[in-house]
Amino acid sequence: MPKILPLFAKALTDSWRSTLGWAVGLTAACMLYLPLYPSIGGSAQMQDLINALPPEMTKALNYDQIASGPGYTQATMFGLLGFLLMSMASIGWGAAAVAGDEESGLLELTLAHSVTRAQVVLERALAMVVRIAFLSVLVFLVVLGLNGPSQLGIDVGHLTGAVLLFAALALFSGTAALFAGALTGRKMYAVAAGAAVAVLGYVFNAVGRQSPDVEWLLNLSPYHWAYGNSPVANGADWGAVAGLFGISAAFIVLGSLALRQRDVGV
Amino acid sequence: MTQAIVVEGLRKKFGHREVLHGLDFAVEAGTVFGVIGPNGAGKTTTMRCLLDIIRPSAGLVTVLGQNPRRAGTSLRRRIGYLPGELHLENRTTGRRMLEHFAAISGPVDPRHVNDLADRLNLDLDRQTRKLSKGNKQKLGLLQAFMHKPELLVLDEPTSGLDPLVQQVFHAMVREAVAAGATVFLSSHVLSEVQQAADAVAILRDGEIVTVSTVEALRMAAVRQLRFNSTGTNAHDVGALLARVPGVANVAVRELPADGHTTGTVVATATLSGHVKPLVQELARLNLTDLVLEEPDLEEAVLTLYTGGADTESVVGTGTVGSAGSPRRPEGADRA
Repeated sequence: MPKILPLFAKALTDSWRSTLGWAVGLTAACMLYLPLYPSIGGSAQMQDLINALPPEMTKALNYDQIASGPGYTQATMFGLLGFLLMSMASIGWGAAAVAGDEESGLLELTLAHSVTRAQVVLERALAMVVRIAFLSVLVFLVVLGLNGPSQLGIDVGHLTGAVLLFAALALFSGTAALFAGALTGRKMYAVAAGAAVAVLGYVFNAVGRQSPDVEWLLNLSPYHWAYGNSPVANGADWGAVAGLFGISAAFIVLGSLALRQRDVGV
Repeated sequence: MTQAIVVEGLRKKFGHREVLHGLDFAVEAGTVFGVIGPNGAGKTTTMRCLLDIIRPSAGLVTVLGQNPRRAGTSLRRRIGYLPGELHLENRTTGRRMLEHFAAISGPVDPRHVNDLADRLNLDLDRQTRKLSKGNKQKLGLLQAFMHKPELLVLDEPTSGLDPLVQQVFHAMVREAVAAGATVFLSSHVLSEVQQAADAVAILRDGEIVTVSTVEALRMAAVRQLRFNSTGTNAHDVGALLARVPGVANVAVRELPADGHTTGTVVATATLSGHVKPLVQELARLNLTDLVLEEPDLEEAVLTLYTGGADTESVVGTGTVGSAGSPRRPEGADRA
């Protein structure tokens, strides 16, 4: 009996170890950062310290908003360590999905079986979406669990929107890596493309916030599209949610078209 | 459909480098067709074109009556493929890997998988990363054979297999053909192909040098001949050998009388082509020893690899082994 979505099922089962690893990392990041809020973000001493820092630095790190619980969560977890971990996971998966598989010589044998190339890209992209969704839901639950004990005062609706953007932003860099990998067949190019999206997005945001002269950089930053209005504090910009998911979907479709056009394993 | 594979004018360029320069060949359904050629001759590239893993730059490829580029998944379900460079995942077992491919290319009878694994003496529950090269190759063969495909495309199938397992492989090929399948396989050495193949294409630098039957290659190949005869002399033996078509490189010497029967002649030569005329001539002699070696097809093929433009016609007339031999005696030219 032909199974339904065999490549999807395999991609998920093959990656449970790495998914579990990232889950532990993200949970640990939440557990380390968030319980410290009452003693750091909310304290007057910490605020004095932050005021003493150069304003450029606090802006770059989004620390200008850490005086409130949602702002603190936004800046430390979603904006920094969580973003970093999720981007790394997503870019790794995106690069492995086609380019990594091709470079290791495995894709040739898979394609010799009864699958289409579009199917390979789409099913593996779907597996990536599911993994990112799993990690995002996990982060949602952990933050929600710490909300009361850590006196964060986050609105659940805002948190939902923020986690959606958190997922969308990771998916964006992951699908960029997937697309570059499907286009070139080189894992290095795939990782470079995904990392460029994530890192430049972060840098453009950090620099763009420094002065009105370079504010235009913010328009080029997916990071700013997602986090520009501090969604944990203020709720999601639904246009940004739709935009990020839309572009990610486009990357996936383009990736499947790119792989159909070229020789594999050369 | 009488031809399982038809390839016409197949060209493949990678960038500016053309690696296949217009291949033409056809594989009859229900036969075993071997491609031999040195590494880099284009065997793997040709096979990948049949599977639509890479796309021809020019030319027409028809596999089981369909264009692999357009036929899609239904065609590949009817093909079993063993890549030349087999890479397996590390973190899995043979059984899980086969189950995955069965889920894609099925239906597969699990009993058939277990049967094949038993015959190949392969433990499916071992981690693939712990398998030796030979055992990995067995797993590769298993995934190609397990869904009983109509066409088997096997790139260097016996590489890494010990002789015993090679015999199992040849039996599997014979059974597949008996069941109506077609087998297209490659090797860089002829000895691996000659046992299995009905026809052989010789590929060199992206061009087919010749397509021939193993029988014709055998005719073309050179056998070493050595015999002792008494009651004669070197001149007579030389003259006798000169009358036989296909004999070359004749060396005849008389042994000194002491310790031997008078007039003992030791002769060595090479023979290409038919054996019967030689035997008829040798029957006139009082032979005390005769060795006619198994033809060295490898030698025949190497001649084709390095040979000139006339090799194709030479194969047809069955004298390829002696063509251009400098020590060729007169008379042998009549071949």
